Amino acid sequence: MTQQSSGIFNWINTRLPISNTYERHLSKHPVPKKVNFWYLFGALASVVLIIQIVSGIWLMFGYENTEEGAFASVEYIMRDIEYGWIIRYMHTTGASMFFAVVYLHMFRGLLYGSYHKPRELVWIFGMTIYLVMMAEGFLGYVLPYGQMSYWGAQVIISLFGAIPYIGESLELWVRGDYYISGATISRFFALHVVALPLILIALVFMHLVALHEVGAGNPDGVDIEKYLDEDGVPLDSVPFFPYKVLNALVAIGVFGIVFSFIMFFFPEGGGYMLELANFEEANPLSTPEHIAPVWYYSPYYAMLRAVPDKLGGLLVMAAAIAILFVVPWLDRSKAASIRYKGILSKIAMTMFIISWLMLAWLGTVPVTALRTTLSIIGTVIYFAFFLLMPIYTSIEKTKPVPERL
Amino acid sequence: MIAAVGAPCGDYGECDTFKPQLTNIESLQLGALTFINHCYGCHSLKYSRWGRISKDLDIPEKILTENLVFGSDVKLGDRMTGSMQPAVSESWFGIAPPDLTLVTRLHGSDWVYTYLRTFYEDLSKPYGVNNMVYPGAAMPNVLASIQGQQVLSCKDVPIIASNGGVRRDEYGNDITEEKCGYLKTIKGSGKLTQQEFDDYIFNLVNFMTYVGEPSRSVRERMGWYVILFFVVFTAFSYLLYREYQKDYH
Repeated sequence: MTQQSSGIFNWINTRLPISNTYERHLSKHPVPKKVNFWYLFGALASVVLIIQIVSGIWLMFGYENTEEGAFASVEYIMRDIEYGWIIRYMHTTGASMFFAVVYLHMFRGLLYGSYHKPRELVWIFGMTIYLVMMAEGFLGYVLPYGQMSYWGAQVIISLFGAIPYIGESLELWVRGDYYISGATISRFFALHVVALPLILIALVFMHLVALHEVGAGNPDGVDIEKYLDEDGVPLDSVPFFPYKVLNALVAIGVFGIVFSFIMFFFPEGGGYMLELANFEEANPLSTPEHIAPVWYYSPYYAMLRAVPDKLGGLLVMAAAIAILFVVPWLDRSKAASIRYKGILSKIAMTMFIISWLMLAWLGTVPVTALRTTLSIIGTVIYFAFFLLMPIYTSIEKTKPVPERL
Repeated sequence: MIAAVGAPCGDYGECDTFKPQLTNIESLQLGALTFINHCYGCHSLKYSRWGRISKDLDIPEKILTENLVFGSDVKLGDRMTGSMQPAVSESWFGIAPPDLTLVTRLHGSDWVYTYLRTFYEDLSKPYGVNNMVYPGAAMPNVLASIQGQQVLSCKDVPIIASNGGVRRDEYGNDITEEKCGYLKTIKGSGKLTQQEFDDYIFNLVNFMTYVGEPSRSVRERMGWYVILFFVVFTAFSYLLYREYQKDYH
């Protein structure tokens, strides 16, 4: 029996690179032996991606992509489908947790300079994933067709209208109708469940392929490729399987506790994850008093509102995301990690964290004069962090980076 | 009026706290009875089904169909679509009474609990009543006979000085001023006392909270088991991780 099955395995293996792939990407793939908890969010992001895909497929069993049926079908899933509420809360909690782990993952990148040479492409693929996620999240939020789905879509789609010359036609093209309607829902549905997930999976694949080509970084920014053993394996590395898989397993356990705590006890996330206004079916005749995005868009929404001009706001918001793509070329520091960077980088990083959190809060609350001023200050600091980066990273004195991990 | 503009419960200010008791079946049953008798004539619960209520609230089918379901053609699997045509009700009230399945999730149970207890007599309004939480509400106070007459009254309240203390005159007596906008129920005008009426509304809102998310009590019970699973999972994976870590430390 054993011989027969190994015969079958060999037959397949000579035609499909199973053991090669297993060795190259798992059992022999070297990863830095000393990393900290910040390096676990990438694995968690892939776990959430799987949760979203699986729960999303199950939601599709009951969801109806029509203007008349969308809202009721979500309640149908919540009430009439056995354990449908678990599937739905898993998906809504998953959306927020996806952004939470990806934000922490991105922050790790900024903190330890994960974008430094030769990992620029890994960073760019990652940023593209983030961009697609934002679109994916927005499209998904429209599907239940509650009040906030409708009015949120109204705000976002109207942004396309701010683009000169082509704006109005573009807006119409995106919406598929002269107002948000069944045509909008069905195209958003197609994009949300087919087009963007395909792109997302392809990008995640590229992100990982590029990462495995250049190897993972570490919190010291040490280049582990410098010291190799006789087989050419970095001395400061361990194989990915089983060592790092076990690492990830502990992280998944802790993440599971946090995830289930939110999902089972606070599925609305205090109105920041599922906005309460969305428990009312979309009504084009009644505008909610206060239109706010879910928490993960709020820093950029605050920037949008900080600029009085619609096109200006759109450009600022787009630039805020676009600038993240070029970070590998803005950072001129010799040290990748914040641990060995100078005082200026540390001050800049602190200011950046404060401004981002402040903008995140401002994006969720109604506008007042003071809050608009704070949004402007926050936006300026956000951009200053990136635009001044070439200056402060090149003039400051860095500490020597150690040779070994 | 007492409260500032923009407070969560309108002119009433902060809403009264409502803590649902979703495992208190008796309260849910009483609430369901009140809803069907007093609210369901105008308001539907269109995402909910009769059979689900019967099952979750332990109301035998026979009792449900004989005492709560009005209409012999209604089946247990039917949605609770209400008994009024929206077009008709719109012409009666100026606005169709909203479906209430999700009202506790939309406004919060605190809000609904406060709203239902803050109707007061106001002859300037079409139905002779107004509401503190939602001024100008287009709904008559259908529970008036049970609650009794509730009116806005004035009373003498101490004046608070700028230092936060109560202002006193030279003899040490509190200086008071007359303030209006307080709710007062005229004793003996309703079937229930104020405490009994609060309990009555509690049961009703408890039922409405249940209808907003019927699986909530199951969810909150199941959550602990899932978390327990992940705690055990984390513990074992940590032990395994620590064992393997010895290889390279």
